[in-house]
Amino acid sequence: MATTIERPAAGERADAATRQPRLPGQGRHTLSRLALYALLSVFGVIAAVPFVWMILGSFKTGAELRQTPPTFWPQDPTLANYETILSDPDLPLALFYRNSLFVAVTVVIATLFTSSLLGYVFAKYEFRGRQPLFWFVLATMMIPAQVTMIPAYLILVQLGLLNNLWGLVLPSFVDAFGIFLMRQFMFSIPDDEIWSARVDGASEWRIYRSVVLPQLKPALATLGMLTFMFHWNAYLWPLIVLTEQDKRTLPIILTWYETQHTAQPNLVMAASVLMVIPVLIVFGLSQRWIVRGLTLTGTK
Amino acid sequence: MASATIERPRGRRRWLGGREGAQRRFVAVVLSPALAYMAVFLLLPIAWAILLAFFDFSSRRTGSPFLGLGLDNPYVGLEHFKRMFDFSSTAPLEVRQFHTAVKVTLLFAFLVLPLNLAITLPLAAMIESVRDRWKVLYRTVFFLPVLTSAVGVAIIWGFVLNPQRGLLNGMITRLTGRFTSIAWTTDADLVFVGIPVALIAIIVAYLWQDIGYNLVIFIAALQSIPDSVKDAARVDGASTWQTFRYITLPLLKPTILLVSVLTMISSFQVFDLFQVMTNGGPDDQTRALSLDIYESAFRYQRMGWAAAVSVVLFLLVLTISLVQSRFLKANWEY
Repeated sequence: MATTIERPAAGERADAATRQPRLPGQGRHTLSRLALYALLSVFGVIAAVPFVWMILGSFKTGAELRQTPPTFWPQDPTLANYETILSDPDLPLALFYRNSLFVAVTVVIATLFTSSLLGYVFAKYEFRGRQPLFWFVLATMMIPAQVTMIPAYLILVQLGLLNNLWGLVLPSFVDAFGIFLMRQFMFSIPDDEIWSARVDGASEWRIYRSVVLPQLKPALATLGMLTFMFHWNAYLWPLIVLTEQDKRTLPIILTWYETQHTAQPNLVMAASVLMVIPVLIVFGLSQRWIVRGLTLTGTK
Repeated sequence: MASATIERPRGRRRWLGGREGAQRRFVAVVLSPALAYMAVFLLLPIAWAILLAFFDFSSRRTGSPFLGLGLDNPYVGLEHFKRMFDFSSTAPLEVRQFHTAVKVTLLFAFLVLPLNLAITLPLAAMIESVRDRWKVLYRTVFFLPVLTSAVGVAIIWGFVLNPQRGLLNGMITRLTGRFTSIAWTTDADLVFVGIPVALIAIIVAYLWQDIGYNLVIFIAALQSIPDSVKDAARVDGASTWQTFRYITLPLLKPTILLVSVLTMISSFQVFDLFQVMTNGGPDDQTRALSLDIYESAFRYQRMGWAAAVSVVLFLLVLTISLVQSRFLKANWEY
């Protein structure tokens, strides 16, 4: 631990490549590096085990999962669980995927539009009350969902939007976090570009569309992915609004399916895997943006 | 840029004359619908929730004239709030459950926070010090649970903690050679240093899902510390630990505060894990405030009471938010 370290004389190139001060390879140091990788790998395995165990479980037979003590690797891997679920008449997965997709995609489109527009106005226009209004927007992020959910439910009842997917998405069209994120990104767009567009006679909407939006692509991608994930995984609000089975979204269907099949964990595991896959794909496509978006603001 | 010929905005605006009206119109057209929307879906519900807390509103009652207020739903004033302070053993069930819920929520939040920091901070420092390729790999592994819905997390941990066929009992059985069948989430008598094991199970699941998130934030903060600062300390003879303790840690302070408050606020509102993993059981040992509000409002149809409890939750979160805005103003203002 208490190794004193000299500045590396050689190895400047490695420095530049990894952003790390690469230190000369003395024996002691290599050993502590090995220990570091070993420790991190152990933590990584611990973090991954429940996930991996569930995925492996989805390829096991019901009989194998009822064995005690349980197995880790499938003894007799099978795709039967997936076949059963995908052909289950009580579980029209395509319908529930469609419901979930409708909710997530609608909210993503609306949020991207309103957030970029409002973020733009808050970042690039001067008007009276701008600062207090922006603080008001930020303050709404602190409101627990449990406070607004009872009145919001009563509003939906009055509007006749209970058991309606629109009732699910309607309260999410303006997102304080999105406005905040967009406003932050807006600072990288020079005022001069906006002003020269104005001088050229472009309307304000035209400037938003042709000058601002194209430069926001990374921000839009980040916010889009985060919003998609949030609404794909949402549970509490859909649980309240959607009481009819065929209107429900995947997380609620998953818990329902679990209570129906407590004796068949193999099926529940396969169902869980099926419902995680879209998010994994979305994450794979957008990993660097998401990490950047999270780190920029750090909002949960 | 074609900016060479253009002066500062203020002068230019006068020069552009009529353009200022167009800008003002644009701001008005963009802002007014958005603010109206936020009023309907955020301000109105809050005001309404506070108002509902003064009524004995139950949606089971027929013919509620105006959304739970008036006539059939009597005004009870501060009655709900007074009842919250009834600590006698004859207090109604919902009051005793409220007391339990406050206790569970505070216990959960104040256990989750230090544990979270104690895990994520060293882990982030370790990940930050490995090579880039490995960094991405580790970060991804720890981030996977963040992507999984809380419902998925709850179900995964349900499998791990299952008394008969769960992974955890299976491992204990293997290691000890004796069949073990501990009911981690359903045995009310299982208590570890005064904390119900069922609650600990939820804390573990929550941490498992949450550490990846804080990890990413910490790694980014660590990366923003210039290497030259740390190198200077090393040249001066500081050990790795001393560098971390006296250089890195103080520079991380704003991030630690940010992560602390965000984690605290979100841990007050966790619902999915509590409902799916234990549904408040055993014996209300894991009945968190969010679950209590949901059950009161939508299962027992005591919406007035639930609204009052939600106002209490709001006040708890608000207090923490005020602390947050005090500490984090610098982070938010650009």
